[in-house]
Amino acid sequence: MFNIIKTRIKEGIKTKKINIEDIKKDNIVIFNEELKNKLLNKSKNKNFTNNISVRVVDSGSCNACLHEMSALTNPYYDMERFGFKFVAAPKHADVLMVAGCVARNMYSALLKTYENVPYPKFVVAIGDCAMNGGVFKDSYATLGGIQDKLTVDILIKGCPPEPIDILAGLLLAFGK
Amino acid sequence: MKNKLDFIQNLDKDIKEAVTENFYNQDNELVLKINLKDLKKICLYFFKDLKFYLLSAFAADESKNDGNKFKIRYIFSHSSIDLFIIIETETGGTFPSLSEEIPALNWYEREMKDLFGLIPEGHPDPRPLMLFPENYPQDIQNMHPLRKDYPFNFRPEFKKYGEYNYNKDVKGDGVFNILVGPVHAGIIEPGHFRFSMSGEPILQLEIRHFWKHRGIEKIAEGKTISEALSLAEKISGDHCVAHSLAFLAAAEKILNIKIPENALYIRTIYAELERLLCNINDFAWLFQDAGYSFGAQETFVLKEDIMELNKYLSGSRFNKGILSLGGINTCGNIDNLRKNVLKEKLSNFNKRYLNLKKMLLNSSTIGERFEETGYINKETILDLCALGFAARASGVPSDTRKEHPYLIYDKLRFNSKVLKNRDVFARLLIRFYDIEESFSIITQCLNELPAEDINKSGREYADNNVNNTGNNISKNKSKNDRCIIAKDDKIDAAQQLSTNRLRSWALGYCESQRGNIMHFVELDEKSRISRWKIRDPSFHNWQLIEFAVIGDIIADFPIVNKSLNLSYAGNDL
Repeated sequence: MFNIIKTRIKEGIKTKKINIEDIKKDNIVIFNEELKNKLLNKSKNKNFTNNISVRVVDSGSCNACLHEMSALTNPYYDMERFGFKFVAAPKHADVLMVAGCVARNMYSALLKTYENVPYPKFVVAIGDCAMNGGVFKDSYATLGGIQDKLTVDILIKGCPPEPIDILAGLLLAFGK
Repeated sequence: MKNKLDFIQNLDKDIKEAVTENFYNQDNELVLKINLKDLKKICLYFFKDLKFYLLSAFAADESKNDGNKFKIRYIFSHSSIDLFIIIETETGGTFPSLSEEIPALNWYEREMKDLFGLIPEGHPDPRPLMLFPENYPQDIQNMHPLRKDYPFNFRPEFKKYGEYNYNKDVKGDGVFNILVGPVHAGIIEPGHFRFSMSGEPILQLEIRHFWKHRGIEKIAEGKTISEALSLAEKISGDHCVAHSLAFLAAAEKILNIKIPENALYIRTIYAELERLLCNINDFAWLFQDAGYSFGAQETFVLKEDIMELNKYLSGSRFNKGILSLGGINTCGNIDNLRKNVLKEKLSNFNKRYLNLKKMLLNSSTIGERFEETGYINKETILDLCALGFAARASGVPSDTRKEHPYLIYDKLRFNSKVLKNRDVFARLLIRFYDIEESFSIITQCLNELPAEDINKSGREYADNNVNNTGNNISKNKSKNDRCIIAKDDKIDAAQQLSTNRLRSWALGYCESQRGNIMHFVELDEKSRISRWKIRDPSFHNWQLIEFAVIGDIIADFPIVNKSLNLSYAGNDL
């Protein structure tokens, strides 16, 4: 244990730096008009700036997206430094983060979670499957992508999207 | 029993008589064709008398115009002989259920009932498995998606059709139930757990899965091999290399493709990197769930570093898209520069891992939480044919790399450790051994890596091949523009291809971090998928958890769950 602490004190861990100006915007699509206007006018975000609670629902992903989301809490990305945190209940959440296509069996559970998030609420869709169902879009067992079923405010592309992209998307939409 | 080739000669006499036809589909795939009435006798002979274990069981629709016909195949194997027994039988609509005698068949038979409409006669628990009665019509005769006459994109109207009957809850003074899921509190995949409790100890656990059933097997039908390969990566995201390996192994056997020596080594390196990553991830979560945040975060940092290494090597944090039919894509090549970086990084990781391991083993709080928690008995393992480290922690050897060597595992020096302690701590220790073996295997591969054109035969094949899509395109385009083939050419080339073929189906298998992955791939005459049965180890091992938690307190459930760390996505398909 002391070895580890010693190395950490010596080397430290470099948290990944993010500048809003440098964010690659190809992987982030914002649908919400309000958020878009905010970006255009560079006005301040009225909605809970720097204090966002995120609830994650997996509605049919292959679990790679989940690995990347949970990576957001590790010391490299440490999303709590920006005020984002994962919460355990939809009632506590401002943002619903959904990964994967909408599997038929998960649809009612997804709707229930969505209904339980208090207004104002935002939906962030993670990954290519979330867009329109990806390779699963025609299957008998899915109902397409999340876009077809819920109003998606932000979409983060990638298969899976890298944690830095997810963080950038959140920052772009809900940052200062 | 050691000899593969006269294996059939040494069987019991009445078993031999019951087999109507036998042949070797591969060196190690012995097919026994039997009549439906002998199914029970023969399966029980292999399972009970010869101590073979079940690897997979699945149906395939072979209906022609003259009525329904289904082939059912059972795959058995044994840890001491490199041989798969494939028991093949035909049916028109019903088959005898063997779940009472072979509990591992329980979910398989329910799956066949849901997806093919075949009725397992005498099944003790004939509830729907993946087509939930809430969401799928149950009364309609033709809601059996894997039948060939089911249109691949037909979706019945979404409404509430019925109710699911859960097992009877335990009743009594002070007994209460806790229902969890399908949406969990953490960043976890969906699954439903029903605990019956009396005070703190768990009396009964019922699990309900298949919330994420996505119909992968149906989507794959009619797809080319490279299209299916991209599906294989989405079966279970953290195991994308292992699933692609298993799928490609089957496809390459059918099409009779030789893989260059160098590509074999590189495939092994990626397979081991994935095993390493998943083991480190589990290790971190076990720390986290025992409330040891310092260790957990430190291990998550190590995991992140491995993922960054993956990204450096292949451009993808999960090594997606590196494998191609017949070889490795150029993005996954390991040249001298990458080789040196890999070596350097691995020795760094190894040092850090050893520090973490020492910290964990010295911590008494961790020891107290993990020891004597989540016992899984050897009998349970054998009955449910559990695979991978879960079996090895309970004294049952299970390692495909040893039993059925593939890639270059027969040339490598490594051990597959078996422990007898049966608890969470034993499963953690097995992970430690696995991590150390992974380090050693990668080092061995790097030292012996032959230098040659990695994609030589892959490229030759791609030039003549119909399935020239995906990552191959960009590479081949620079060489010549043959990748865009006109439609008629496509069929010609495919027919040419099929004449070189020795067989229409094959088994693909590999040892993932969780255990054996078994793929059955059958191609039609145009080299498109006609049946693809995917079996992730989680499909066997999930059923263990109902037994592992009995008598433990509810607070230990996350630890028991994480000690098995099973994939929901790979299980649900």
